[in-house]
Amino acid sequence: MIRHALYITLILLCCYGCSRQQEPMTETVVKSDAIPPLVTQIRQCSRIYTTEYKIHKIITHDDVIRLRGSFLAQDFNIRMPLGDRKIAIPMDATLKAYIDMSQFSERNVEKTDDGKIIITLPDPQVIMTSSKIDQKNIKEYVGLVRSHFTDAEMTNYERQGRAAIIESIPQLGIISTAQENAARVLVPLITQMGYREEDIYIQFRKEYGLKDIQSLINMDIEHEKK
Amino acid sequence: MKRNNSIPLQPILIAVAVILLILLVSWIYRNMKSNSIEITADQEIDITPQQIQSIKDIGEWEFLEISDEEMVDTTRRGILSDDHLVRIYYGTMRLGINLKQVETGWIVPRGDTIEVTLPKVGLLDRDFIDEARTKSFYESGTWTAKDRESMMRRAYQRMLQRGLTPQNLQTAQQNGEAQVRQVLQGMGFKLIKIQYKD
Repeated sequence: MIRHALYITLILLCCYGCSRQQEPMTETVVKSDAIPPLVTQIRQCSRIYTTEYKIHKIITHDDVIRLRGSFLAQDFNIRMPLGDRKIAIPMDATLKAYIDMSQFSERNVEKTDDGKIIITLPDPQVIMTSSKIDQKNIKEYVGLVRSHFTDAEMTNYERQGRAAIIESIPQLGIISTAQENAARVLVPLITQMGYREEDIYIQFRKEYGLKDIQSLINMDIEHEKK
Repeated sequence: MKRNNSIPLQPILIAVAVILLILLVSWIYRNMKSNSIEITADQEIDITPQQIQSIKDIGEWEFLEISDEEMVDTTRRGILSDDHLVRIYYGTMRLGINLKQVETGWIVPRGDTIEVTLPKVGLLDRDFIDEARTKSFYESGTWTAKDRESMMRRAYQRMLQRGLTPQNLQTAQQNGEAQVRQVLQGMGFKLIKIQYKD
């Protein structure tokens, strides 16, 4: 009886094996070149930058090779003893907050009978104006059987670091500093026009919540939104 | 002679064994379909804090923005083959006036007339390359920090040449005049005279 059972099992397994071999290989890999064309864009604007933040960040990446998968509905994730790679990339970024004056008009200005002037400014916005990678101080640790970090890998980590700085803008308090500094920039300008300092009131639309601040971060161009 | 009426056990046992086997094999087959194995390396960076190094109040009035992309390549000659590195750099040059550099009396009001003397339009910030946005286009061979810094300097010079032209400076100046006029009109001045400092 046991022999019969074994024969049936073997036949079924053979059938399964044959059917697996006959499955056609239909997978195709399509690679596309996503490099945008090199262009120069010129745009007229009217922005008063009031605040500058210099940010320093060390981007780190721990590159561990892992064997991942599932076998008989059991997932596994094993760290492979192939040697690790680590990299630390120091970077500096400049964030600037500005007030867009291109739509400024008499609607933003209110003059009272007692000689006071109240200016309501548009929402301040934040943009990353530059970033610098400290190439000389990049530290790499590469295991014996691993290859060095490629330029493509390094630029990928740098872009992620840049995105992390942009994401952290709401926590930096740059919007409130920008509002205070807007007054510091504009009050001397208005006093030159003949107003007394104590008669000048600079105000903004409203108090900003976290969601408002996120909407005020200028992502500059579409590359950064991915 | 006594007749044996009992049901033979052997065929029943075989049938049960076959059913169990079919169930077992179907279970294995079903689960083997979802089997997968891959060697992966995580490409995400670690979560690290950022440090504010300085906060500065500035007063830069921007009139023209020039966004540029520059492809820079470098080649190292070898005995058997050459090594290449091609990178694309991004930068934005901002032209305008620095309100911190204006002299006393740059705005002179006379009734409903106002005279404004603006400082010369120039590049507001010499750090305009967004190096963290750089794209690696092609790489063969191993390259050092010195090579990358050299490429960055070349990209910087090319962007300056392309962006800081007399024509762009003139456009910025013209737009600056229009923007300052618009703000002063909003403040209630009817006659506005604007000139740039020589």
